Amino acid sequence: MKKSCIAMLLAGGQGSRLYALTQDVAKPSVPFGGKYRIIDFPLSNCANSGIDTVGVLTQYKPLQLNSYIGIGQPWDLDVSDGGVYILPPYQSAGEKGSWFSGTANAIYQNMGFIESYNPDNVLILSGDHIYKMDYAAMLREHIEKDAACTISVLQVSMEEATRFGIMNLGEDGYVCEFEEKPKHPKSDLASMGVYIFNWEKLRAYLIADEQDPNSSKDFGKNIIPAMLANGEKLWPYRFKGYWRDVGTITSLWDANMDMLSPELINLYDPSWPISSRSPVCPPTYTGENARIVHSIVTEGCEIDGQVENSVLSASVTVERGAKVVYSVLMPGATIKAGATVEYAIIGENCVVEAGARVGTAPDGTEGWGVATCGPNVRIAPGHTVPAASMIYPGEEV
Amino acid sequence: MAKYHGIIFAYKDAPELGDLTRERTVASLPFCGRYRLIDFALSSMKNAGITDVGVIMARDYQSLLDHIGSGKDWDMSRRSGGLRMLPPFGLPHAHTGNYAGTIEALNAVRSYILDIPQQHIVLMLGSLIANIDLAAAIAAYESGGADITAICSDGPAVGVNHYYQVGEDGLVKEIFLYRGDAEKGLKSLEGYIIRKDVLLRLMDEAAARNHYAFHRHALLGFLNDGGRMNVYRHEGYVCAVRNIAQYYRASMDMLNAEIRHQIFPASRPVRTKIHEEVSSYFGESAVVKNSLVADNCIIEGELENCIVFSGCRIGADTKLRNSIIMRGVTIGEHAELDYIISDKYARFSDRTQLKGSAKLPTVVPKGSNI
Repeated sequence: MKKSCIAMLLAGGQGSRLYALTQDVAKPSVPFGGKYRIIDFPLSNCANSGIDTVGVLTQYKPLQLNSYIGIGQPWDLDVSDGGVYILPPYQSAGEKGSWFSGTANAIYQNMGFIESYNPDNVLILSGDHIYKMDYAAMLREHIEKDAACTISVLQVSMEEATRFGIMNLGEDGYVCEFEEKPKHPKSDLASMGVYIFNWEKLRAYLIADEQDPNSSKDFGKNIIPAMLANGEKLWPYRFKGYWRDVGTITSLWDANMDMLSPELINLYDPSWPISSRSPVCPPTYTGENARIVHSIVTEGCEIDGQVENSVLSASVTVERGAKVVYSVLMPGATIKAGATVEYAIIGENCVVEAGARVGTAPDGTEGWGVATCGPNVRIAPGHTVPAASMIYPGEEV
Repeated sequence: MAKYHGIIFAYKDAPELGDLTRERTVASLPFCGRYRLIDFALSSMKNAGITDVGVIMARDYQSLLDHIGSGKDWDMSRRSGGLRMLPPFGLPHAHTGNYAGTIEALNAVRSYILDIPQQHIVLMLGSLIANIDLAAAIAAYESGGADITAICSDGPAVGVNHYYQVGEDGLVKEIFLYRGDAEKGLKSLEGYIIRKDVLLRLMDEAAARNHYAFHRHALLGFLNDGGRMNVYRHEGYVCAVRNIAQYYRASMDMLNAEIRHQIFPASRPVRTKIHEEVSSYFGESAVVKNSLVADNCIIEGELENCIVFSGCRIGADTKLRNSIIMRGVTIGEHAELDYIISDKYARFSDRTQLKGSAKLPTVVPKGSNI
């Protein structure tokens, strides 16, 4: 069946800069914003944009991600003429098979999947961005501008521009130059890593790029520059709204804190729901001593302590006398009586025992940072985990 | 295929629930922030591996149909077997619009029962608040050497119930119908495990005599004829909701951690319809004491001893005490509500003052504007 546009979601990266949080799981399945995991955002955007065929390219530690996505029912992607497909690297007859060696190579290796839907266009997404975006509007502009590739761009400050891939535009408004992390940016339009390609064109460039032994087989480094060099029409789609890359501990923590501000990103808007797969838990119980201020709390929690400026996933326990401030608590975390968690990310099913301390408020010193406990970590009673620490899964401190 | 088939009775009326069941059957009464009463029976069956289930309904079942859908939230949307909703197929008592008794309800779906491929059937009430371990009840059925196993409780009784007196051989000797006290033995939870052929025989015998009641006619007759019935004792919290005061008390019981963990144990999760939701937000001035709050709420005001369903908005400086606030209710600012049961989607404007009594909380009907 022919499709106007299908999506390919790159979810295979390790997310090594999340350290302990992605030791055992792929970055897109890291819990986020209370109810969600990171991949809920692009998947929900697809569903809300009417894109019902999504290939999810997995490679690094895919078990949890695979079981989380399942048949895509939470995002209404369990449809019979499309749906969500997990696409791992695979072996072919007579070949050794190989891992995805770059973002472009991952798509190249799955050309067969794309061809089976015979799409006019292919939407390329990353599994590590937090945003709400109507891909259908972008697709309309892509078709209207007759572009070989449309790149979603975000206006950033000139200082920030040095950290992004920057699009420089010609007089006709099309992209004329792409610079990766320029020292002296000429434009403030940053690529969001969201592309729509004309499939015929992309197919040709993927095949050509695969022949080039010196290519790193990456969209930003190889495919886009090659298209520009050949004079293809590349259109910048200007996205306005909230968008964050959550590839580092600091940016993950920051983006979680942003969820407390509906003026940045409104998750309560019923017209653009972000969906998730979550276990059915009873409502959150707040005890006689509970104090919850400016915080997000998900079902199944038992709170009898103090929670301020924090984001709590499902089934978190905060016992009486415990204090959680400016922190992110992932599903099943337990903060025992009298423990303090400040400016920290506490992974799934961690236990912070009575009287322990994790993290500290910013003190102006250079080494300060958010303290992080990976999943299943136990912090012993009375123990202190200093700011900027990184505790790996299974460790007992 | 599982060895057991489930039948859930979701036809019963409870006139004393008033506005709470004006537009819904008791089995679809919202409970504890996100559930409906029938979730307990459906989840008990699911947790015991029973996914072929028929739900007998009589009237006011739109909300029940909406809630259960295809049954997929209980894994009962199956290609072979699965969930079947059984609406009336022409009511014998058209003037009342409901079945006179359980036997009449069963006979109304007789052809469905005849087609059940399993040899054993589990019957349960759709309106009972209890997390019954059906797998354990089935074990009692299989080892007890009886044709029927009755699911009972020896916990404290509320209101009128049937009671069983059990002999030393573990078999039921006598049934006491409609008793208001617990001294006469074990309280019936009106759940039964029964051989299909025995059930059909009881249905036929009762119908031949124009009888319609399961306990008074069918079971008494079964015992008088020397039938063998043993019991399974359910331990843990139980409440059959028949009036507003009971509903209120059962709801408030969920604030008790021990009871809550009996009703929602991790080993036997209670499943329900999944809505698109987001976490709840507690604002700068929020105070939440001894309360249950579901997802997708925005709480700016003060809560004490409350149960708040999903999708509610509680404005700043609003004080809400001893109340049950169902899905999608909006309460403005500077309001004060005490002992209120607000049905879904009601709206309370700023500065609303409303006070019910502890004995009989005030019910605000669905969609009210106050």
